[in-house]
Amino acid sequence: MNELGLGVATLEHEQTGRTDPDAVDATLAASGDASAFERLYRNHVSRIYGLVRRMLNDDDADEVAQDIFVRAWQKLGTFRGEAAFGTWLHRLAVNVILARRETLGTRRKRYLEGDAVLDMVPAKRPGPEMAMDFESAMQRLPEGAREVFVLHDVEGYRHEEIAEMLGLATGTSKSQLHRARMALRQHLER
Amino acid sequence: MNEHWIDRLSEYLDGELPDNERVALEAHLQECDQCTATLDDLQRVVRRAQSLAPMTPGNDLWPAIARRIGATPPQSDTVIDLATRRERTRRWAFSLPQLAAAGIALMTLSGGAVWLLREPSHPAPVAVVNSARGDTTPVVSVALKPSASQSYAAAVADLERVLAEGRGRLDTTTVRVIEQNLATIDRAIAEAQRALDADSGNMYLNTHLAETMRRKLELLRQAASLARVS
Repeated sequence: MNELGLGVATLEHEQTGRTDPDAVDATLAASGDASAFERLYRNHVSRIYGLVRRMLNDDDADEVAQDIFVRAWQKLGTFRGEAAFGTWLHRLAVNVILARRETLGTRRKRYLEGDAVLDMVPAKRPGPEMAMDFESAMQRLPEGAREVFVLHDVEGYRHEEIAEMLGLATGTSKSQLHRARMALRQHLER
Repeated sequence: MNEHWIDRLSEYLDGELPDNERVALEAHLQECDQCTATLDDLQRVVRRAQSLAPMTPGNDLWPAIARRIGATPPQSDTVIDLATRRERTRRWAFSLPQLAAAGIALMTLSGGAVWLLREPSHPAPVAVVNSARGDTTPVVSVALKPSASQSYAAAVADLERVLAEGRGRLDTTTVRVIEQNLATIDRAIAEAQRALDADSGNMYLNTHLAETMRRKLELLRQAASLARVS
């Protein structure tokens, strides 16, 4: 907070030197401006909602997405503009999703070793009657493999970041990613 | 096909294989059509994943979020049932102890406001609250001190001039966001001023106006600072 009691998010990224068009709204929102926060919501809801749907695979996506934005509102005072607002929000969203997973007790059997992930894949490429779209195929991945795949290949996180977020060894993240890719290659549209 | 190399294809694809293994794998790929085809598939999986579109929720989540954070969605977008409307328009009634407490709070605020106006390091607008004298009803009259109003206007004008001069150095997206935010704040200021014309003693409206004007000043400061350094 500055001397005027407003949350401060610099307009210029300290890391990239580029301006963040969301920083002004983040600053206003941090001082209690709900209209500014609504603009942030509108700008980011699609990416956040996609992350929730792909990571959770449950019927609570709307509720979890709401939770993420409510948490963001509560935590705006901690946003200092070191990274883009979208990056900050995305990382917060991952934390909310993972906490949700813990609440639901769905961590069981998430990180299958061996060829368990590949067991779900037919030995041969499925014919048209077996074909499913890529999103549906992603949803059929075991949770651990799906989390790593979404975070790495869809969202662009590095293995080191994923390992930290998920509490895994980096090697486990790499092996889960490979297995997810091997499973999904059967469902590429031709 | 070689299972050992198949298991390393993703690392190869991501550029994470040590040099000696990368060279060996590339030699293997020259000879193994199956591994080459699998590598091609994996590349396509990655490209497909990177091209996935964001997802839009089936319902607008904002109204529920707004309720949870204590913000009220715009009334034009909301259907309000009669019970809610009655609740919103209910007149407030205070007990004597509550009125006494309110009077003490107003005196405290009045003192704080005067102190702020006397502080040269606080150029932001401040609403001055005067308790009505000789009256048992805690009616208040509020006015922006002329000198504070003038210094505020001068500060805004100065910052707007700096921003206008540096506008060309900002990217168009930043300029658009700043202008949108300034327009929003100006609308809020105008609305608060109109409401105060009808209810000049409204404590909430005065505080809201002062806070909104302060936000404008802060936004202009940030934008002008950005325009200077860009």
